[in-house]
Amino acid sequence: MTRRLPRLALGLPAVLLLLVFLILPYAEMITMSFRTSQPGTMHGAGFTADHYRNVMSGGLYLGALARSLLLALFITLACLVVSYPIAWHLSRASGRKALLLYACVASPLMIGVLIRNFGWMIIVNVDGPLNRVLLSLGLIDRPLRLLFTQGLVALALVHVFTPFMVLPINNALRNINPAVIEASRSLGASRFATFWKVILPLSFPGIQPGLILVFVLATAAYVTPALLGGQMVTMMPTLVVQTLVGTFDWPLGATLAVVMATAALIAVVVFSLATQRLMERVRA
Amino acid sequence: MTVASLGSRASRLAGSSLIVLLYAFLLIPLVAVVAASLTAGEFMRLPPEGLSLRWFARFFQRGDLVEALLMSLRIALVSTLVTGIVALMAALASQSLSRRMAVWFQIGMTLPLLIPELLTAIGLLFFLYRIGLGKTVLGLQIGHIVLAFPYCYVSIAAALRQIDPALDDASGSLGASGWQTFRHVTLPLAMPGLVMGAVFAFITSFDLYTVSLLLKPIGGNTLPLALFDFLTYEFSPTAAAAATMSVLLAFAGVAVIQKLVGLQRAF
Repeated sequence: MTRRLPRLALGLPAVLLLLVFLILPYAEMITMSFRTSQPGTMHGAGFTADHYRNVMSGGLYLGALARSLLLALFITLACLVVSYPIAWHLSRASGRKALLLYACVASPLMIGVLIRNFGWMIIVNVDGPLNRVLLSLGLIDRPLRLLFTQGLVALALVHVFTPFMVLPINNALRNINPAVIEASRSLGASRFATFWKVILPLSFPGIQPGLILVFVLATAAYVTPALLGGQMVTMMPTLVVQTLVGTFDWPLGATLAVVMATAALIAVVVFSLATQRLMERVRA
Repeated sequence: MTVASLGSRASRLAGSSLIVLLYAFLLIPLVAVVAASLTAGEFMRLPPEGLSLRWFARFFQRGDLVEALLMSLRIALVSTLVTGIVALMAALASQSLSRRMAVWFQIGMTLPLLIPELLTAIGLLFFLYRIGLGKTVLGLQIGHIVLAFPYCYVSIAAALRQIDPALDDASGSLGASGWQTFRHVTLPLAMPGLVMGAVFAFITSFDLYTVSLLLKPIGGNTLPLALFDFLTYEFSPTAAAAATMSVLLAFAGVAVIQKLVGLQRAF
């Protein structure tokens, strides 16, 4: 016991760091969302729930929220479709090949979102390589204007979040006992049936956290819509930052942030509850 | 050759081309950035019109970009040192927790990674103002430390879990003090994890954008902020040169991690 106590005390700085600079700021954000707005200063005196009423009744805000949630949902599903084959392939590789493939999946993770978005800008630019290839193949007769479209934002976000999905699914696939797959095959199940009835459910412990993480991060992704979306589409994160930095209305910005976080959280809780039974069956 | 084997060969071919396409999807933007920075021509074109390093020279002639690069490096270095020490201490503490408690502790320690950066940045914006650190370098530094911390913690905690507890006990029963055991047994064994955590923390901090945007100190700019501004009015290979620095940093990081721990264990 005498050795345990000082050892536990080593965790104190980290706990303090997160308590003071993570938990308190969230409390401050919620408090801020109930303060009154006053132009020229951070907030006025007194408290009000007006911002929530304003946000919930305004088509602009709810529209942006709905767009952001829908886009996040689409991105999450697209990530799953892109990630699953990669994760499967990765989970079967070994030795030097596996190493190289891991590097391919992990390297994008270590490069900033801004840089990766910028790469897409270079590719889809009006006189960029994509347009020139399509032109020379005769598939289009005028360069496509892809920059500042929602499609490009979605593509770039799928790219940003794919590694977050590949890694947990890969781990889950590696944990499947190969004997189970062999048993299914030798009992006469087709490749497709084996995948659908055995492999896919058994990899769900990797799929579920991947889906949740990507959905939450995609809902509040700011950089990509700001850089690649231009002024055309209003998404919730860009609206929040505009309100905070542009019009300098902190209480309203805080309210928008809280509403966005709450909506994402509700979606995650509903999804977790809906998939709980599947998770329990897989564990059993 | 039967029709069935032809069919299975065709489907295998389709499968492997799909895989190649998907990996290409992951890597193409990175290749585009590096290739565009190496052009000898005047414009951001792919494939580059001849190879040269002139746009890197141009980058280093731009005082504002170089200053932003130095600021990013400085902040990333401090983030690495602080998170390294705090995370190592926390990981050591987590070893004396019960299994159940350790899981919860880990979730708590990785919270900044699990919740969106934008929300944390907004909370910090308000909170730092409240305590008088709004728009200061120290405030920005704090934000970077909070967001880099989980990466560091996860790497170090994983490294410590690999160490056989018997070694600790053996050292103790041979008369080593707690500090001696840490210094001569635990620390050397945990070193690869510690270095990996440091690499993650440095790279994360170097690349952060959203939190820097909201906590930007007066007159200070980090490289990602400067790059974003640069891109909105000038689409020149100088930007690609700036971005390539991040790509090189990441590849160096991946190489270091591979050398020390092996990528498979890291991710």
